[in-house]
Amino acid sequence: MATIHCSEFANYLEPWMDGQRHPDAEAHVRECPRCRGLVEDLNVIQATAREWGSAEIEPPARLWTSLRAQLEQEGLIRQKAPQHNWLGGWFGVLPRPVLAGAYLAILVAVGFGVSGPVSTRINRARWLDNLHISTTTINAQFAPAVLNATSSPQQDSNPVVTASLRKNLGIVDNYIALCEKSTNEEPENELAREFLYDAYQQKADLLAQLSERGGNGR
Amino acid sequence: MISQLSALRICARTTGLLAPAVLLVAASPAFAHRLEKHFTVEPRAVITIHNPNGKVIVRAWTKHEVMVVADHNGDKVEVNADQFGNRVDLRTQQLADMVAPDDLRADYEISVPEDAELQIHDDSGEVSIANVLGDMNVETIAAGVVVTDAAGYLTVKTVGGDFQCQRCAGRLEVSSISGNFKLLDLRSYHVRAQTSTGNILFDGEFLPNGIYRLKNYSGKIEVRFSPGDSFDLNATSLKGQVNNEAKLTPPAHPQKITNSKYGYAFGTFNAGRAKVELASFDGTINVRKRD
Repeated sequence: MATIHCSEFANYLEPWMDGQRHPDAEAHVRECPRCRGLVEDLNVIQATAREWGSAEIEPPARLWTSLRAQLEQEGLIRQKAPQHNWLGGWFGVLPRPVLAGAYLAILVAVGFGVSGPVSTRINRARWLDNLHISTTTINAQFAPAVLNATSSPQQDSNPVVTASLRKNLGIVDNYIALCEKSTNEEPENELAREFLYDAYQQKADLLAQLSERGGNGR
Repeated sequence: MISQLSALRICARTTGLLAPAVLLVAASPAFAHRLEKHFTVEPRAVITIHNPNGKVIVRAWTKHEVMVVADHNGDKVEVNADQFGNRVDLRTQQLADMVAPDDLRADYEISVPEDAELQIHDDSGEVSIANVLGDMNVETIAAGVVVTDAAGYLTVKTVGGDFQCQRCAGRLEVSSISGNFKLLDLRSYHVRAQTSTGNILFDGEFLPNGIYRLKNYSGKIEVRFSPGDSFDLNATSLKGQVNNEAKLTPPAHPQKITNSKYGYAFGTFNAGRAKVELASFDGTINVRKRD
């Protein structure tokens, strides 16, 4: 027989979800289908939220491309013969889940940094920490691809295209530096973070294009 | 005597007319290979074009047919034109590893049905599209893109190429890094334009319920309006200026200005039927009354 009512059970709900289950609350859940349903729903939400923290989400293709440039430069993979869909062939070469995890971390950090709400001092400090981690990681990941793009002789037959890509890479780099400075000064400024996010996307796209040209030669 | 003078005048005129034509012929690249193909298609045919270097000129006509005329130099590239069902694929295929840029060049003139859908990839050169009413996707690196009298959903992405759209009526999404945009006489309900260092000029109509988002990093954003236009404006330049000539009614719910210490303009012009969002990092935003 239940010793408490539904309205009283609400007081036990928070400790319940933390694992502290009062005998009266347990008895009520056993006998009350409505509260049992509520607890089940909350369990599902809690489990899903945990999964979000560990799931490996497919990274965008452009990140694979920039990573490919880095691995090629380090001699860990070789250029494959030109093919219409290089991505399909390349996926077979790399230990994809490991790399996906690494890139997921970056994406999550950037995603948090770019879109996370900033309303308190704690959030501000947290955002700055995440911004620092994510930008440092991203720049480290970009570095070999950038080096490859700017120092090694390109195989693209069209110098106009290569010059345009390199020139615009310089523009985006400058843009990123100024946006980072701005977001560090005003982390609560959503527009500044949006500009920074756009700049990273543009850089990844450009590196992907440079890499694709280096790999395909056309 | 009179007849001799007339003859001389005619001769002079003819020479004057011929001279530019001779110069044009001399200035045009001499192509060694020409391909002309015709494909009969059903309504809403899809035409894909992949060209590393050269001009791509697409015009609509009233026939249910795609006509391709492609010119290229030498034997180091070939132009492939194939039909697969209701899709026509055009591709400049590089046959050798090291090819000089001029040898890579191919110029296309393509006539398509008005309702055709286009997917164009042209790295350098230029892309020109006229009177096509179907959806279009254009991607370039350095090539400029000019679209006139379009009505479909238009997406354009360039790295350094400029973009000009005149009398376009469909949804428009355009992005670039250093390309300049000119959006002229537009009648579109949805415009999204983003460039980093390029300028953006919007001289079109703000349609009721339309959304117009223009964004750059530096450079100038200029929007022109008429006294009869009706829009809700949100213009912010993070580190630059906003010069606004529209007499705006302040928003009913004033927003907290955290996004800019420098330039901003918020408010409603007339009934605020369209939504206009302009954002720049350190560029100048001008909202000008149309002359």
